[in-house]
Amino acid sequence: MTRYTRLTAAAVLLMLVAGGLIFLYAPEDYLQKEPQRIFYLHVSTAIAAFACFAVVMVAGAIYLRTESARADRIARAATLVGVVLTSVTLVMGMLYAKPIWGTFWLWDARLTSTLVLWIIYMGYLLLRRLGEPGRQTARFAAVVGIFGFVDVPIVYFSVTWWRGHHPGPVIVSNALPPEMLFTFLVTMVCTLFLAGVMVAIRYRIETLADAVEEGADPVAQLVATQREPEPAR
Amino acid sequence: MIYLVVAYAAAVLILGGFLWLSLGTLRELETKASAKK
Repeated sequence: MTRYTRLTAAAVLLMLVAGGLIFLYAPEDYLQKEPQRIFYLHVSTAIAAFACFAVVMVAGAIYLRTESARADRIARAATLVGVVLTSVTLVMGMLYAKPIWGTFWLWDARLTSTLVLWIIYMGYLLLRRLGEPGRQTARFAAVVGIFGFVDVPIVYFSVTWWRGHHPGPVIVSNALPPEMLFTFLVTMVCTLFLAGVMVAIRYRIETLADAVEEGADPVAQLVATQREPEPAR
Repeated sequence: MIYLVVAYAAAVLILGGFLWLSLGTLRELETKASAKK
């Protein structure tokens, strides 16, 4: 069992503990009933995604300053994990909205700005996928990663700046009863650990992929792809 | 209740699938890298 498999097992175990608290310990909400239990992972994945995008911003700034390949790899890894976590936030949010608002989607400021965040970082991933590998693409992606982070505070404050359907911040306003708050905090810590493990695995993948690419002899590759010359008659 | 179940099933599928694929890719690359040494 490798270090990464052990870390994954620990993360899965912690998520099971969080699941136990969500379904067995946390009390049912008086108004929203069962669907309110979606809240715990929906908000936790959003916070973990914000943390990933903060890592992308810092790593991007370090890359622009030092051109460190390690910073670039961290940014690539954290972007992918951030996009996956934002996808979970959006899907869970839509399934939370249907029983509460009666519709899967509203063009509310919080929902729209979160969708924009997802699109920005999908753009980053597309840029890395379609751009020529090298310094120019890495620098351009770092700029996208830094400026893309501007949307994170917009997502966070959207419920305060533009009053829409999405509820305001319930954690900082101390609106949760102690059992719900405890369940939320444990879920958030477990999700952050899971996100950290995911970034570590992706970072290792990026490192190995770079090593395999650098190790490949371009002349040998060219020879291998060319047809065998026909024997002289 | 159905939305709660579907929401958590979707989350498990997305996160679990991502972890599963990542660990598979990692294993493949580690085999490739060790074969090059």
